[in-house]
Amino acid sequence: MAWVTDAIKSSIGKKFLMACTGFLLCGFLVMHLIGNLLMYVGPDVYNNYAHTLHSQEMLIKVAEFGLLILFAIHIWLGFETNLENRESRKTRYAVKKSKIPERKIPYFLSPENYMLFTGVIVFIFLLIHLGDFTFNITMPDKLKGREPYDKAIIIMRTPLSTISYIIGVLLLGWHLSHGVTSMFQTLGLKHPKYDPMIRAIGPVFAVIIAVGFASFPIYAWLIPYDPYAAPGVEEHQEKSHSLTHSDLIAPLCSHEKTTFEPHSAWATSLNRV
Amino acid sequence: MKLTLHIWRQSNKETKGEFKTYELPDVSEHMSFLEMLDVLNEKLISQNEEPVAFDHDCREGICGSCSMMINGQAHGPDLKTTACQLHMRKFKDGDDVWIEPWRADAFPVLKDLVVDRSAFDRIMQAGAFVSVNTGNAPDANSTIVPKMNADLAFDAATCIGCGACVAACKNASAMLFVSAKVSQYALLPQGDPERKTRVLRMVAQMDKEGFGGCSNTNECEAACPAGISVNNIARLNREYFKATLTSRES
Repeated sequence: MAWVTDAIKSSIGKKFLMACTGFLLCGFLVMHLIGNLLMYVGPDVYNNYAHTLHSQEMLIKVAEFGLLILFAIHIWLGFETNLENRESRKTRYAVKKSKIPERKIPYFLSPENYMLFTGVIVFIFLLIHLGDFTFNITMPDKLKGREPYDKAIIIMRTPLSTISYIIGVLLLGWHLSHGVTSMFQTLGLKHPKYDPMIRAIGPVFAVIIAVGFASFPIYAWLIPYDPYAAPGVEEHQEKSHSLTHSDLIAPLCSHEKTTFEPHSAWATSLNRV
Repeated sequence: MKLTLHIWRQSNKETKGEFKTYELPDVSEHMSFLEMLDVLNEKLISQNEEPVAFDHDCREGICGSCSMMINGQAHGPDLKTTACQLHMRKFKDGDDVWIEPWRADAFPVLKDLVVDRSAFDRIMQAGAFVSVNTGNAPDANSTIVPKMNADLAFDAATCIGCGACVAACKNASAMLFVSAKVSQYALLPQGDPERKTRVLRMVAQMDKEGFGGCSNTNECEAACPAGISVNNIARLNREYFKATLTSRES
């Protein structure tokens, strides 16, 4: 199996692993964003989603282990390649200028120059995020017995969390704007037919992810909702034990239950139709 | 025009270099950049000073010998132009010009602006050849090559091996150079028999020489005087994956 280790140790092999782990982590980001968007549908839907997801213990364990491995490989390779790249030029230039003629972003602001920096900040943000939501260590008293939706609102309404979440996801977007397009090149997926699409996909994906995730802390501040007044997990569970599947999806289909109150002869005739 | 030149002076591989400043009055705008350095050297020799050492040969943009960073850009500000083809009309009276050698640990500075680029030769020796006797020129069309492949192979083969890609890359990566050399053979039937071993050996040698990895910044493509495209790097990656998975050579 020397050929496998040789390939992984080579400069191209490392980039390939970096691209593959990055691709899978992007998949996780998409799933996470879709799940979180349920916050906009309503507290019950979001809570039911969270409870259903966490009731799949085996799935959660496998997914968490998988994510841990992906993050570990991606971060390790990030540091290793950065160190090797620095080693390859120990004497720096006194003056250095980009020669790319159609450069839209100035060289010193380009995301590719800050991949390690943005990666490290995103990792710190990830630790804060896990401390808040998964390990429950940042504010255990406030969150005890709360429903997932209320927990999320309480955490994201904390000024320090709001700022760190917004900065974290914006830097994640900056990281992705180079990373995603670069991933295609590293995997050898380049063709004149698809080039314009590949060039655009990184920035577009980055904006969707950054704006999508940054919207949650802003939303938490804007909605007139008191998470402390909502029922806790135990009360909710008592209520939900008696619920059927159709009750769980009812908030998603609430329009079915609405009745049309006729206010005129025209409306009455419409209702008959 | 009058120029203030800040030139890297280093007497040999072992010593530490530094920038020295020279005033050069009466620079003609019709001179090439290397001719301007010739004028400076004549002045230095007449003053019993050591002239500035720099690589040059054909002075017509073909050999890839001239290699210097001019105001932080490989071969200076013109696109697809070597330093020897750069003209002084690109500069203004009173300009400060910073001239440095290529900076990469795989290209150690030998003297002033001259660097040792034999790492490229060793990469070529590792696989950039066809080891069958090609004999006399074959009859036309005896080996069919699609026009598009012939053009792409020729585009890749225009690499002059000057090292500007390494110099411009923030990681001092030789990926563009290696990708051009791998591509010019991979695209043609003559290169097919050694296709897999070639890419594996050349990439191994590239890593051994101490070049950095590719961060896909595309600076190499912009700095390349021959206009080698980064599409070749994507092809190099594909060739490397395929060879890794299917080559019988360990």
